[in-house]
Amino acid sequence: MEEISARSFEQVLNSTVRMIRGSWSVPVCLFLQVDDGGKMRIRASDGLPSAVPSAFGFTPTDGLAARCLEKNEILESGSHPWDDGLEALLASVKTEKAATFILVPVAGQSRTLGVLVLGPVAGNQNFKNREAELRGAGNLCAVLSAYWRLYEWMNHFLPQINHELRTPLTAIQGSIGMVLGGVFGNVGSEVKAMLEMAHKGCERTVTAIEEYINRQNTGGTQ
Amino acid sequence: MKVLIAEDDPDIQLILRMVLTRMGKCDVRVTDQGEEILKQIALDRPDFILLDVMLPGMSGYDICKALKGDATSRDIPVIFLTARSMPSEIKDAMALGALGYLSKPFDPMMLVSQINDLLSPVGCSIGG
Repeated sequence: MEEISARSFEQVLNSTVRMIRGSWSVPVCLFLQVDDGGKMRIRASDGLPSAVPSAFGFTPTDGLAARCLEKNEILESGSHPWDDGLEALLASVKTEKAATFILVPVAGQSRTLGVLVLGPVAGNQNFKNREAELRGAGNLCAVLSAYWRLYEWMNHFLPQINHELRTPLTAIQGSIGMVLGGVFGNVGSEVKAMLEMAHKGCERTVTAIEEYINRQNTGGTQ
Repeated sequence: MKVLIAEDDPDIQLILRMVLTRMGKCDVRVTDQGEEILKQIALDRPDFILLDVMLPGMSGYDICKALKGDATSRDIPVIFLTARSMPSEIKDAMALGALGYLSKPFDPMMLVSQINDLLSPVGCSIGG
């Protein structure tokens, strides 16, 4: 079986954006995602005539994308000023007849993840009556994006958490183990019983950590 | 037997020092800086090294790579003793030429025998 990597998620999300663009017959489709620093960046795109600089990003404050996120509403360009840099990015694909972009909120379970941008379309096209379909496209990006973030979290943070928990446990288990092992002489039976309890608690914690790690390494199938 | 411990956590340093001095009968040196270890080895060559991965200045992986790439230190057995215990991390460490890998937390009463198991192929042992 081919190993899942960050590249696989990138490809799947780009393919999804391409599929959305095709099904709506628009020249461009972008999925802008809010990163951990609060900046909105392009996570997937299809149809842009030139590559987007990797540094491209903007903080959604009071522009169109920010409003789409805040209100959780499907918006059309022209209803509100653009966000910094986004209009310039899309300017080259606009034509005289088709100059309107549709912004669809991409929401996760508890928060908005980003915005799906489709267009340009003619201003007289009514997208409001296709809101459910547009939201469906946004939800598809939300699910894929959530999986990608979970993958990133498991790859970057789980090893870190593993390390952070094991280091203090080494000191606790090690020191108790030495006392119980008689390195410092005999201890009374009551003290020994208490220390054995603490030692077992450490062992149970280590076992639990190892089970989580094993589960991650088997793709959560156990 | 001279052992150099590269470990930045003072509590774990203390436990290792006690175990290896008392039970392992070793002459123990400790460093908590990644870059320091290469200087220490040049000054006082140890018989083996217990190496943590997460060290300030230079990672245990980079230290192992530097040691194995230098003709004067290539033969010194390196045993990783680290909390980084993901299978991919163990594989990476072993690929660098380490003699073995011990995971934290460890049982101090078993540590000497675990180290001896790893040292036996190179004809060394501690605690005797």
